[in-house]
Amino acid sequence: MAHPAVRLTAVTKSFGTAPAVRNLDLDIAQGEFFALLGPSGCGKTTTLRMLGGFTTPTSGSIHLDGVDVTNHPPNRRDVNTVFQSYALFDHLTIWDNIAFGLKRRGRPTAEIRERVGEMLDLVQLGDMATRRPRTLSGGQRQRVALARALVNRPKVLLLDEPLAALDLKLRRQMQVELKQIQREVGITFVFVTHDQDEALTMADRVAVMNGGVVEQCGAPEDVYERPASRFVASFMGTSNLMTGVYSGGTVTLDGDVRLPVAQRTDCADGSTVSLSVRPEKIWLSDFEPGMVRVTGVIRETVYSGPTTTYLIDLAPGLRVAALEQNTARARREDRWEGGEEVELGWRPQDCLVLA
Amino acid sequence: MSNVRRPRFAIGTTMAFFALLYAPIVVVVLFSFNGQKSLSVFKGVSLRWYEAFLNDQELLQSLGMSLRVSLVAMVGSIVLGVALALGLVRTKGALGTFAGLVMLVPLVTPEIVTGVASMMLFKGFGIPLSTGTVMIAEVTFSISYVTVILRSRVAALNPELEEAAMDLGATRWQALRLVTLPALLPAILASAVLIFALVFDDFVLAYFTTGVTPQPLSVRIYSAIRFGVQPTINAVGTLMLLGSIALIALALAIPRFFGRRGGLSILSGE
Amino acid sequence: MKRQHTGNRAPGSGLWSALLLPGTAWMSVFFVAALLLVTALAFGSTDELGNPRFGTSLDNLAAVGDPVYRVVILRSLLYAAATSVICLLVAYPVAYAIALHGGRYKNALVAAIVVPFFANYLVRMYGWSVLLADEGPVLRFARWLGAPEDWRIVNTGFGVVAGLCYGFVVFMILPLYAALERMDTSLIEAGRDLYGGPLRTFLFVTVPATRQGAAAGLVLVFLPAMGDFVSASFLGGPDQVMIGNLIQSAFFGGQNWPLGSALTMLLMVVLLVVMGGYLRRIRRDESEAR
Repeated sequence: MAHPAVRLTAVTKSFGTAPAVRNLDLDIAQGEFFALLGPSGCGKTTTLRMLGGFTTPTSGSIHLDGVDVTNHPPNRRDVNTVFQSYALFDHLTIWDNIAFGLKRRGRPTAEIRERVGEMLDLVQLGDMATRRPRTLSGGQRQRVALARALVNRPKVLLLDEPLAALDLKLRRQMQVELKQIQREVGITFVFVTHDQDEALTMADRVAVMNGGVVEQCGAPEDVYERPASRFVASFMGTSNLMTGVYSGGTVTLDGDVRLPVAQRTDCADGSTVSLSVRPEKIWLSDFEPGMVRVTGVIRETVYSGPTTTYLIDLAPGLRVAALEQNTARARREDRWEGGEEVELGWRPQDCLVLA
Repeated sequence: MSNVRRPRFAIGTTMAFFALLYAPIVVVVLFSFNGQKSLSVFKGVSLRWYEAFLNDQELLQSLGMSLRVSLVAMVGSIVLGVALALGLVRTKGALGTFAGLVMLVPLVTPEIVTGVASMMLFKGFGIPLSTGTVMIAEVTFSISYVTVILRSRVAALNPELEEAAMDLGATRWQALRLVTLPALLPAILASAVLIFALVFDDFVLAYFTTGVTPQPLSVRIYSAIRFGVQPTINAVGTLMLLGSIALIALALAIPRFFGRRGGLSILSGE
Repeated sequence: MKRQHTGNRAPGSGLWSALLLPGTAWMSVFFVAALLLVTALAFGSTDELGNPRFGTSLDNLAAVGDPVYRVVILRSLLYAAATSVICLLVAYPVAYAIALHGGRYKNALVAAIVVPFFANYLVRMYGWSVLLADEGPVLRFARWLGAPEDWRIVNTGFGVVAGLCYGFVVFMILPLYAALERMDTSLIEAGRDLYGGPLRTFLFVTVPATRQGAAAGLVLVFLPAMGDFVSASFLGGPDQVMIGNLIQSAFFGGQNWPLGSALTMLLMVVLLVVMGGYLRRIRRDESEAR
């Protein structure tokens, strides 16, 4: 069986007494577009740096394509990195920047010329070869950084918040392009981001990290639709987390609102649980049979172009957000307003019980 | 901006200040063209003192020595100072703290103390005072300047640059040579020119560490001033002044050739 | 966008420590050891031929306490202190005018000050001595204005202090300028509202806000002024001798090296005291600021 592209085994990294990464086990498959997602300080950047060789784990091991590289410096790993600041060499032309890695490896001139030219075409910067990084825009510099890394055909490409410095439109565009490039070259990409939209859009699999551990690792839909913990549920979009007491198939929330849930064998009667229902899973009309139904009062209406979000109080202090596409209610008159009473419904399976 | 009322006192003082600052320079330059051998009466423009300088073998020998000393001091202090700056910024620990302290002390020590100490060191080890001892002393003093200037520049460098170089297959040494040093080049060049000018003009340190022959130009000028007025001094002084001013202005402007802001920002590491 | 890499040591960081070694070794030998030698010789003496010998004699240190030398030491302290204060008074308006009203020409003005200062101290002092000479332009102008005939500047304390100020005022201007640049100018406007007049605003708002720059300047002027001998030799007479001149003659005239070392050591002690006081002040300011 082929080795995983990356295997982290029981990796821990402490700076002084504070552990940034705790006992991490992770496998990344060949050719995967993998995301490390989480808030600041969760350890995702540290993990990436350990993969790149810029930091050494305090304990544990790192294998790249079956080879133990735990103590190898960056220049002895078959890995390349796209840095957050791009780290382009200002004193060299774009061409020399991209050719840097190949020259270090002593490749023949003809080969360098061919591969660099190929890369420039791939990132669509063919006519910028003799320019200096300083004269390029942010988006162009990002492509140079990408080309400079990819030209070496590494086993794994690491990307550290690669799109953070770009404006929204450019970011959306690059997200699509990056995915295309990855599919074309077939290299394993591991990228770090704090933006869950980005992770969901680009990645084949996402590892959601918090406090140095991976709370959940799986395909984007799994992580989003079936979060394994409160943290993952609330980090990935709005989750409408509600706390209540479980008792034999019903959860009682504040304000004596009772919601039926699926029977759970792992929840004792009387224990406190969290419920999560995604805003887009809440219906405000045309209910299906079998839906859980509850009433509430509209408090706020937030129009945002393609969608409208309603903030609804199920009871004083118990507020949920419901998201609707503005297909049926594109006109203001058709939308609900503050103060109106509405009925809400959701499919039972869309309400998750989290410990 | 803020103050609409212009502070006349402050501006007046500033103008007087500039006048007083440049007055001695003007006097020296002016009298270097004096046709008469006097420091109070100006009569007729002449280049005779410049001719006298160019015909004075001793002075020319001193000029040569000063130039050689400055060159050596420049090279030596840049090599040692750049290494020191890099080491200081990148390491922590006892050696770093000691080095940082040792490197700063010469900057606040009055030059006479450094001069006496250097002279004593040479005599103590039986090394006769000569061009070489002046060179060594000047290198010692200049290292501090170089390190201070370079240190803030090194600290301002993006640490990811070296990591990127290594990521692409360079060893630490290659990363230093191919990426870090080129990034520091403007600051290194500017410091080099600055050090050349500072050492060329330096007096006190050279005074204590020079042998009898040859002597640096600044020491010769001092003796000449002390032991009787020689108008040739005006010519020599003018040349030294104008040379130094040109060099220092050049040093401050160097970053501009690299597309960065020139001027005093070189000292603050931008 | 910069990132903090706290405490991580990537493999192979021995290179940086190795880079420290040549420079540190050089400085340790040619500077630190040299200073120690001076301190050691201060306890030495001279033999019959006048050659310096190391020893454990306190004669030199005692000699330094001799009233003759004590006068010189006090005079040097006085001159250096006077220089620092005068430089402060002159530098404040100049730095203020440039920092707050220089506009586009700010950098050029500062360069116009800095460049001549670092260009040949000796020649400029010489020019200054020519200007202030008995037959020089300044005195002739003063006499034309009605000053007494026997007024002179050279060979007086004023002359020497004037020379010292001229030589070192740039070290006061630079820190003050930096402090004024960094200061929030809205403080001045607020001060105007509170205090009314420009002078009071200056004293109660600007000065406290820039006192760290002023303190740095005072130290940076006092230390070299203390050890200077050029000003006194060009602009002063036998009654204006400073420590620097004594040291100069001990080594080049009288060949009394141990005495010269003792005097140099004294200078170093003064230096340490001043620096120590300054650093303690800085630390106190920093902890107060927290």
